[in-house]
Amino acid sequence: MSDSYPDDCPTAFSLTRRRDVLVGGLLFGAIAALPTLPAVAAPALWSDEAAARFMEISSLLVPHRLKAEIGSRMGAAMMALNPALLQQIDGLLSIARAKNARVVEDFFADVPDGPLKDTALAIISAWYLGVVTGAPDAEVFAYEYALMYGPTRDVMTIPSYAISGPNRWTADAPPLSNMPEF
Amino acid sequence: MANDHSADIVVVGTGVVGCLIAQQAVDAGLSVLMLEAGPRVDRWRIVENFRNLPPSLRLFHWNAPYPPKPWAPHLETRTASEQEQYLQLEGPNARAYLQGYVRYAGGATWHWAGICWRLTPEDMRLRSLYGVGRDWPFGHEIIEPYYTRAEYAIGVSGPSDPMLQWPTNGKRSKPYPMGPIPFGPGEHRFTEAAAKLGMINLPAPQARNSGVSYDGRPACCGNNNCFPVCPIAAKYDAATALPKIEAKGGKILANAVVYRIETDEKNSIQAVHFFDPDKRSHRVTGRLFVIACNGIETPKLLLLSKDERNPNGVANSSDQVGRNMMDQPKLTAELELQEPLWTGVGPVQSSSILNTTQGDFRGRHAGAMFRMENFARSPLGAAAALKKGLVGKALDAEIRRLSACTARLTVEHEILPSANNRLTLSSQKDWLGINKPNIHYDVGDYVRRSAEEYTVPRLRRLAAELGATKFQLSPEFLNSDHIMGGCIMGTEPATVVVDTDCRAHDHPNLFLPGGGAMPSATASNSTLTMTALALKAADAIVNQLKHG
Repeated sequence: MSDSYPDDCPTAFSLTRRRDVLVGGLLFGAIAALPTLPAVAAPALWSDEAAARFMEISSLLVPHRLKAEIGSRMGAAMMALNPALLQQIDGLLSIARAKNARVVEDFFADVPDGPLKDTALAIISAWYLGVVTGAPDAEVFAYEYALMYGPTRDVMTIPSYAISGPNRWTADAPPLSNMPEF
Repeated sequence: MANDHSADIVVVGTGVVGCLIAQQAVDAGLSVLMLEAGPRVDRWRIVENFRNLPPSLRLFHWNAPYPPKPWAPHLETRTASEQEQYLQLEGPNARAYLQGYVRYAGGATWHWAGICWRLTPEDMRLRSLYGVGRDWPFGHEIIEPYYTRAEYAIGVSGPSDPMLQWPTNGKRSKPYPMGPIPFGPGEHRFTEAAAKLGMINLPAPQARNSGVSYDGRPACCGNNNCFPVCPIAAKYDAATALPKIEAKGGKILANAVVYRIETDEKNSIQAVHFFDPDKRSHRVTGRLFVIACNGIETPKLLLLSKDERNPNGVANSSDQVGRNMMDQPKLTAELELQEPLWTGVGPVQSSSILNTTQGDFRGRHAGAMFRMENFARSPLGAAAALKKGLVGKALDAEIRRLSACTARLTVEHEILPSANNRLTLSSQKDWLGINKPNIHYDVGDYVRRSAEEYTVPRLRRLAAELGATKFQLSPEFLNSDHIMGGCIMGTEPATVVVDTDCRAHDHPNLFLPGGGAMPSATASNSTLTMTALALKAADAIVNQLKHG
């Protein structure tokens, strides 16, 4: 069916407004999550090297296939919230290397409570939820690639996508113990 | 041909009711002009907007992908303060009237569940049978042919086995145009658990194409996103009707906010006036007018239109415009279960228990419809598991468990019409300077008794039968987004607003069809009844203009 009428969607759909509200959301999120930070953080520099370190720690924290382009954008957004992000990543990488870690279980117990653990959990959360803050206008970095859909991908639909085809789904479900790969 | 300023029929509102009337009118050779307060937006934009919502807003904030234009505000719920902006609510159950309709071309069918229950014969005779509420001015045998036409007009899939149809005691003149949509694992298990308690979970008749395409729309592929938007238009929404109306010569004007209905010396309707986005006023004349902007915006517009001949507002000599506001007051229970249930397969709603809506108990308390929400719970499971600080395999296992082994049960109660549940004009004004709607709402003892004596105990038994280890009941009644009342129907002009064809008693060329006309609410979704009333009104409208 063709849309022959002029589409006049509200400006709230446009990226311009999303950026405006995002700044407010980010600052609010930063203040809420890290009360010791100054209210207005200086814009952080993000580089390919920073992105590579973000992906390196991400691959140790999250045992799944991760898309580098999503990671680069999320990392930049997290650094805008938390200027100490790269130092904290280095701290986490040091702990992981000391344990010769290949997966998160190898070193996570050695991460001390406080900023390092908070950052590790924030990175994990971002990969699973696809957002880096809980603000109502938070920018979404991943929808169908958000890992929250992974552990149920063999049964549950990713909303708005389809698993099968017309009337092709059934009442069958695999055991809870059959964790899918993702 | 209709133009921007005149037509045989001027329809205010582009939801399912307005569109079905417009379609029948253009088919009869009448010119039609439809006026829509909000914008006209492509489906793909709404889908993308949904996907760009943060996960916390993708569930339970069904209006979030539909940002309103300044001139056509509707409920927004992203924050608590935003929630208070448009609808002005008061009374003991104000929260239960937080109605999430959409002021977009296509109306609230953009994010309806698509569920199409018929009323039972008893639902239409509450006063006669149980001594409560009001009777309809006609019996089930009158509305049945319109139900059938409605099911074919919007494409309803449903079971052919009479044992699985509703109502069990009503005549059905034709089968559903399509067979039922299959159950996923959650609905299958819920049906088995409910049956042990004598609660019959029926496959819902639903305006979703089942296995085949219908009326130019594709078959449902189980995208599990019926609300807030079906990405492929397998579910009927009125937006899909708009190009068909235009193809037959109907005209649709978006961003046209009707704010006044004008009467002539004989108290017939002569024109409506609308504001465009530049706040310029326009006057539209016609032979006949249909106000179909839902159960809130329609009475609001009537009350806004008071004049010398109609000092209480248009169509309001009975003082019943805006009274008897109804919905199904809803309670929800969040469950954690020992064994997986697995929602999120197929449509977000696909079944309900209705035998609990009927019985002699209706003399004392409300009947109610029970169901299990079938949306994918992975975002909820993930958020809860992340909060526990888990990582690695433990995190994945907990996400899977909390997604599969949790559920939301819902119970929707039948409310009685009450003159005190009333919509009036707020002193607060919107962007155009139009009064916002103010609604006083009390679900009443009839509903409260039902919750206490009947529904909450049953909810608990259902939860136990499902193996629940946790049960958390919503702390107050919630809205179901089924706006009814406000312009109720009857044969006595002194006590009601419209006649049996949804024609205003006060104005021979004004029709107010839809949920607003319903004099009883029952406990089930209202859209098919609204649609049937629209078709009944359409017959009367075409007959009046062709032969009147």
